Amino acid sequence: MILKMKLSRLVFILVILVMPSLSFGNDNANALFLKANAYYTKGQYKEVLGAYRQIVDEGYQSAPLYFNLGNAFYKTGDIPSALLYYEKAHKLAPGDDDINFNIRFVNSRTTDKVGQNPEFFLYSWWKTFMLNFSIGTLSAMSIVFIFLASAMLILYFFATSVSLKKASFYTSLLLSFLFALTFFIASEQTAYFEGHRQAIVFTSSVSVKNSPANSSNALFVIHDGTKVNILETNNGWLKIALPYGNEGWIKAADAKEI
Amino acid sequence: MSLRHYILSFLLILSGRLFAQDVKFTASASQTQVGTGEQFEITFSLNGNGQYFSPPNLNNFQVVGGPNVSTSMESVNGNTTISNAYSYELVAVKEGDYTIAPASIVVNGRKISSNSIKIKVVKGRPVQQSNRGQNGPDNSITEAKPGNLAKSLFLRTVLDKDNVYQGQQLTLTYRLYTRVGIVQSQLDKLPDLTGFWNEEIKTQQQQVAWHTEVYKGVKYNVADVKQIILFPEHSGSIKIDPFEMSFIVRVAQQSGDVFDQLFGGSFQDLKYSAKSLPVTIHVKPLPETGKPDSFSGAVGNFTIASSVDKTELKANEALNYKVKISGSGNIKLLKNLNTNFPPDFEKYDPKVTDSVTESESGVAGTRFYNYLLIPRHEGNFTIEPFKFSYFNPSTGRYISLATKPFPIKVNKGTAESNVTAFSDAGKQDVKLLDKDIRFIKTGDPDLHRQGSEFYGSAGYYVLLLVGPLLCLLAFNYRNWQQKNNSDIVKVKSRRAGKVAAKHLASAQKELIAGNKNEFYEAIFRGLYGYLSDKLNIAYADLNRDKISAALKAKSLNEGLITRLLDTLDLCEMARYAPVRHISEQQVFDKSKGIINDIENET
Repeated sequence: MILKMKLSRLVFILVILVMPSLSFGNDNANALFLKANAYYTKGQYKEVLGAYRQIVDEGYQSAPLYFNLGNAFYKTGDIPSALLYYEKAHKLAPGDDDINFNIRFVNSRTTDKVGQNPEFFLYSWWKTFMLNFSIGTLSAMSIVFIFLASAMLILYFFATSVSLKKASFYTSLLLSFLFALTFFIASEQTAYFEGHRQAIVFTSSVSVKNSPANSSNALFVIHDGTKVNILETNNGWLKIALPYGNEGWIKAADAKEI
Repeated sequence: MSLRHYILSFLLILSGRLFAQDVKFTASASQTQVGTGEQFEITFSLNGNGQYFSPPNLNNFQVVGGPNVSTSMESVNGNTTISNAYSYELVAVKEGDYTIAPASIVVNGRKISSNSIKIKVVKGRPVQQSNRGQNGPDNSITEAKPGNLAKSLFLRTVLDKDNVYQGQQLTLTYRLYTRVGIVQSQLDKLPDLTGFWNEEIKTQQQQVAWHTEVYKGVKYNVADVKQIILFPEHSGSIKIDPFEMSFIVRVAQQSGDVFDQLFGGSFQDLKYSAKSLPVTIHVKPLPETGKPDSFSGAVGNFTIASSVDKTELKANEALNYKVKISGSGNIKLLKNLNTNFPPDFEKYDPKVTDSVTESESGVAGTRFYNYLLIPRHEGNFTIEPFKFSYFNPSTGRYISLATKPFPIKVNKGTAESNVTAFSDAGKQDVKLLDKDIRFIKTGDPDLHRQGSEFYGSAGYYVLLLVGPLLCLLAFNYRNWQQKNNSDIVKVKSRRAGKVAAKHLASAQKELIAGNKNEFYEAIFRGLYGYLSDKLNIAYADLNRDKISAALKAKSLNEGLITRLLDTLDLCEMARYAPVRHISEQQVFDKSKGIINDIENET
C-alpha cells in the first residue's frame, strides 16, 4: 500500500515537472491575440497584422495564430505571405479543415497552376490518416494510451479472478497497440515535415535556372505564391522541385521556407 | 494700204495657188539633228493621189512606228485638194550624218521622187537594241517566208541564271519569238513548276509588251508571255517542262494580182502550235559549314531593324515590338521569327505586313512583323536581341544580323486585372471567386513558445517512461509478494505477530474494561493462537510440553521459553484464582514482550 502511494506521488511530481512545457503562453500574448481578433472582425486588417506579428515576434507559435495571420495577409492582398503562414499553420495542425480549405482557396488565386502529382492511393490514404491529428494531440494520446496500458497491466498483475485477469490483459494489449500506433504516427509526421522542406515563392516572377549561377539557362518561370519543394541548398541558392518533377535552382532570397 | 490692195493681194495669192496645182512629193523630218536613241518622225507628203509608195531604205535607223498613212481632203470653192502623207517614227541608233534617200510614188502614171533629208545624229542616250514601250509587233518584220514557220515563230523558256543555291531566286520568262503576224494566240499548257515556290511578276499593262530582239542573227518581235520568279525548294537538277501555245498566224502570200498588191498582198491564216524546249536548273544545296543556329532558310540580301513603342509600362498593358526585314530574296518565305521574349510576356502571333514587289530583278521589299506582347508581372525585363541570319548567294556566305536589346520596365498593374490575367480555364476557381476564405479562429489560441513543442521534449519522454516504469515496479512487487506467499509456513509465521497483536489488542480492551477473567483468557488465547501459527501446530494439539519442545527445537533461548511458559501458567491460573503478585498491565506487557522477543529471535 505504501509503495503504491509513493508511486502515485512520483507520477504527480513528474506531471508537475512536465507541465510548464505545456503551458499556454502568457496572458499578455493571449490578450493581444484577442485584441487582434476584435480588429479582424471590424475589418482593420493593418492593425490585425501588426498585433499578430507582434505575438509571432515574441516567439510564440500556434496553429490558430498562424492561420489568423494568414487570413490577415490575405485580406491585405499579400498572397505569398498568406500562403506561407497557412502552410506553417498546416504544419502544426495538419488535420485542420479550415486551414486546408484556405490553402486551397488562396492557391486558386496564385498565378501558376501546379498540379498535384498523382499518388498511389494507399499512400494518399496513409498521408491523410497520418496528417489527421496534430503532433500535440498525437503526443498527448500516446501518453494517455501508455498510461492506460500500464494501468491495465498492473491490474492484470494483481487481479485474482481469471476473467478480470484476461480482460485486463487484452485491454492492455490493445492500448499498447494504440500507443505504438500514435507514437509511430507522431514520429512519421515529424519525419514527413522534416523530409518535406517546402517554400513559398515571394518574387513575382522567378526564372528557374538549371544550375546555381546567374548566367545559367532559365528552365521555366514560376510566380509568387507557388509552393515548391526544397531539395537542397547551396550557397544562397535553393534547388527546388515542382510536384510534376520539374527541378531547378532559384535564389534563396526569392522564396521563404515554411 | 487701201482695201483694194488687200483684195488684189488675196487674188494674186489665189492665182499663185492655181499655178502650183502641180503634184509635189516632199519629204520632211520633225528635226534634222537628233541624239542617239531619240525618236523623230519623217513625213513624205503628197498633194494629190498617188500609189505604189515605196519608202527609202531606213536601215540606218530603227523603225519604231509607221508607215502611218494619213489622207486629207479639202474642198474650197468646188476646188478639191487631196493630200496624202506617209510618216515613219524613227529612232537614231548611231552617231553620224545620214541621208535619207528619196521616196518614190506613182502619180497619174508618172513616178515622182521626193527630196532627200539630211539627218545629223549626235550622241544622246544609249539605244536599247530591243525597244520596249511599243505595243504592237513591228510590221516590217512580218515579211517572213511562209512554210518555214518553225523558224519564224517559236517559244523559249528563258532563265536569268540556271545555276543557283537552294532558296535563291531566279527569273523564268516564257518568251515568244515571231516574225509573222499573229492573229490569235492561246496558252495551252504551262509547266507545274514542282520543286519551286513561285511568284508571278504582274505587269500593269493588260496587253503583252512587244519588243524586238536579235536572236541568232535574226531580228524578231519578242513578247514575254509570262515572267515568274522561282525559289528552288530543294537541291538537285530540276527540269522545267516545256510550255505550249497555239496560234493563228497570218502569212503573206505571193500574188501576181495587181489588186492584191494594191491592198498589200493577200494573206492566209494558219493554225500553228509551238512548244518550248525543256530547261534544267541546277540547284546547289546551301553549304553546311558556317551555318548559324538562327538560320531559317532566308536566302538573299537583307537588313533588319527592330523597335518597341514603349520601354516602361504597367503589367497587363500591351507592348508592340516591331521587326522590319528588308531586302531582296525569299522574303515571303520567311517563317515566324525565333524571337526571344522574356518568358513571362504573353506573346501573340505577329501581324505580318508585306510591302514586296516582284520585278525581273527578283522579289524585293520589306516585311514587318508586329508582335503584341503583354507583360503579366512587374519587374525589369530585357527583350533579348533578335538574331537573324541569311545566306547571301552572291558571296556564298552566311551572314548573321542582330537587333539591339530593349530593357523593359514593367510596373505593378492594377490588382483586379491580375486576377483574371492568367486564370486557367481548367481551374475551377470561377465558382469560388465570390466565396471568401474561412473566418479566423477565435477560440483558445494555444500559444506556446517556439521550440517548446511537447513532442520530442524531455518531459514527453519522461511521461512516456512513467507507465512502463510503474508496470515494472508493480511487476517486481507482485513477484516479491508471490514469492513470500508461496511458503505457507513462512506466511503463517509472518502473520503470527499480527494475530498476536490482534489477540493482545482484544486483551487490552478487556483490560481497560476491567474484566479480569476475560483479559487473561484473551492473553492466553492470543499467545496460544500465536504459537499455533508460529510453530505450525494445530491449536487443539497445543500443550505446554509441545510448546516448550517446539520452541527448543527452534533453538530459542531458555529464559524466553521459561518466561512464555510462566506467563501461560499465570494466565491459566488467573482464570481460576485471582492473581495478586502481578498486575494485569504487567501481564499484558510481558506477553507483548515475549511475542516480540520470539519474533525477533526467529
